[in-house]
Amino acid sequence: MKRLFVAMALVGLLAVQAFAADTIKIAITGPFTGGSAPMGASMRDGAKVAIAEINAAGGVQVGNRKMKFEVIERDDEAKNERGSLIAQELASMSDLSGVIGTVNTGVCLAGDKHLKEKGITKIITPAAGSASMTQWSKAGVKDLSIFRFAAHDGIQSGMVVEEAINRKFTKVAILYDSTNYGVSGRDDLLNQIKAQGNKLEVVANEKFNIGDKDMTAQLVRARSGGAQAILIWGIGPELAAVANGMAKLGMKEPLIGGWPLSMSNYIDNAGKNGNGTLMPQTFIEEPITPRAKKFIEAYHKAYNVTRIPSPVSAAQGYDAVYIFAAAVKQAKSSDTHKIKEALEDLREPVPGVIAIWQKPFSKWDPANEETHEAFRRAQVVMGMVKDGHVVFGNDADRQRLTKSAAAPKRK
Amino acid sequence: MTTSIVPQLIVSGAMMGLIYALVAYGFQLTYATSRSINFGQGELVMVSAFFSLTLTKLGLPYWLMIPGGLLFGVVLGLFVERAAVRLALEQKSEGWVLLTIIMGLFFFSAAENIWGRDDQPFPTPITSDALHVLGISITPLEISVAVGVFTIMGLIELFKRTTLLGKAFEAVSVDRDAAELMGISTTHTVMLSYGLSGLSAAVAGILVSPITTVGPTMASVLVLKAFSVAVVAGLDSGFGVVLVGLFLGSLESLTSYYVGSGWREAPGLVLLILALAVRPTGVFGKAVIRKV
Repeated sequence: MKRLFVAMALVGLLAVQAFAADTIKIAITGPFTGGSAPMGASMRDGAKVAIAEINAAGGVQVGNRKMKFEVIERDDEAKNERGSLIAQELASMSDLSGVIGTVNTGVCLAGDKHLKEKGITKIITPAAGSASMTQWSKAGVKDLSIFRFAAHDGIQSGMVVEEAINRKFTKVAILYDSTNYGVSGRDDLLNQIKAQGNKLEVVANEKFNIGDKDMTAQLVRARSGGAQAILIWGIGPELAAVANGMAKLGMKEPLIGGWPLSMSNYIDNAGKNGNGTLMPQTFIEEPITPRAKKFIEAYHKAYNVTRIPSPVSAAQGYDAVYIFAAAVKQAKSSDTHKIKEALEDLREPVPGVIAIWQKPFSKWDPANEETHEAFRRAQVVMGMVKDGHVVFGNDADRQRLTKSAAAPKRK
Repeated sequence: MTTSIVPQLIVSGAMMGLIYALVAYGFQLTYATSRSINFGQGELVMVSAFFSLTLTKLGLPYWLMIPGGLLFGVVLGLFVERAAVRLALEQKSEGWVLLTIIMGLFFFSAAENIWGRDDQPFPTPITSDALHVLGISITPLEISVAVGVFTIMGLIELFKRTTLLGKAFEAVSVDRDAAELMGISTTHTVMLSYGLSGLSAAVAGILVSPITTVGPTMASVLVLKAFSVAVVAGLDSGFGVVLVGLFLGSLESLTSYYVGSGWREAPGLVLLILALAVRPTGVFGKAVIRKV
């Protein structure tokens, strides 16, 4: 009797696998509701634009046949514990090809270990906190199935400090929120200030909590210290409270910080007080290249909007899917382990909206997280808020990108 | 410039404190008549704010939206009283504690499903361009909060002190049984207090939303602070609540500046512990001697 059961279970399993093998199962996770939703939902929607394009063309060429993508969506609500549960659920799926997503660094820290244990390939996008990759290098992990497709905070904080130095500032204030992202961003900023020659004096180092609305105390401290710019690392609508608080106090110093400053809930809630805010961006919603134009139009049409809530997240979601698809094609398999091998050694360039990706990843080396990081300084530009949109902060960047679309080169 | 730092911190903090006080006042109103508190008061603030936002989106001008929002608050307050409080009080049980919490959770889920979980800006004709008075920056929006809080509390207190219905309200809060014997319907008075409490929640929602944005979690921080204020002030005095609210708000702001922004929440908690340990009836509370 027992043997019969086992046999039946085996047959059942085989049947399920045979059925599932017709599609490439890919999970998209992120906060689709709540304060981080503009990033999560834009990432998901950008990824789905890419998936729709690929499926409409018949799917990915896997060996001698074409396979379509099948999407599993999970909303982690930006909560670490939800993220952990979702990762456990995904890790238990035997036929999952990979995972794309996660916005919140804390969610990466809570969940990714479950995926890594089973060797499930995950491309993190757009979570930028350094800790989500350095946790693996610190632990000395030998083999890693987690990749990142986002301008990590190391790059971003470097650019923020660089911008402040370029503007000849000598005194700055650092404001950060109490999340994992905010605290690790503050550390990155302090490290970068040191690394770039200690040219900036930090006159105030101030924290705020999620949900705080009154930032007067922190801002007054910055002002009385003589800060010429506010460097800020935070993730939610509190950023708008800072911009509004500065306007109230008549502070005209520029606000420079991590890329969540490009989110619609910052831009909308800060209104005109947000003008001039600077933040690193991987994608600006301007049709400067034909591929960008096509993507922006497809997104606007599919979701009936005139502005992408978070263009960076959407573009990264889109490109991540194409890179993943290229890996599936090269691996000639929907097996997640083989896809991981292929991702570490992508032979053909992948044209995306952000760049043409040539060998974005290489074999994991615990001494160097950059092996699993796709972005370098060259793919990131400074964006600036202007009348409800994010535009190029420096015109030089715009011209560089327009040119590079013609002749792609990766540093 | 340096001389204006302390007043600036006090004023900005006090504005937040007034909002805590208004929510705490909602607790005080119902506690006075029925010795019960709506633990879902924060959700009333949130749902009223969402409802008012919807009215605005339907094209109603700001000044017409306000009565609509306020009426909605009153109705919600009455609903809570009928559904969660009345039966528990009749049976002299403490069931209202759990029931009002459940009611709050219910409103929270309802709001998430109807309006979504995103924080939304709340349009207002009152400008947020700062005015500079005596070296202090303050926005008309903040002034409107102060004016609104004092107006609504002043009106309710005036009503309690001068009208016949108000006197009944006072009578019930002094002694329920004696009031009942004098022919005052305690049920109706409790209803009235919950209606007024809902009204103050709606006022809070409409006033603070342009500053805090509207979202399902908008009141969760406020309501915790309001509890501190209510406990520290004692639940007997409406104006005590205002004073403690102002004090707590300013203290938070000053702590944040002088001790460090990570310590912002600390003074509220210290005050709460001190109050419970030293003066459980609250700073402005009256020690009640129950005669049996």
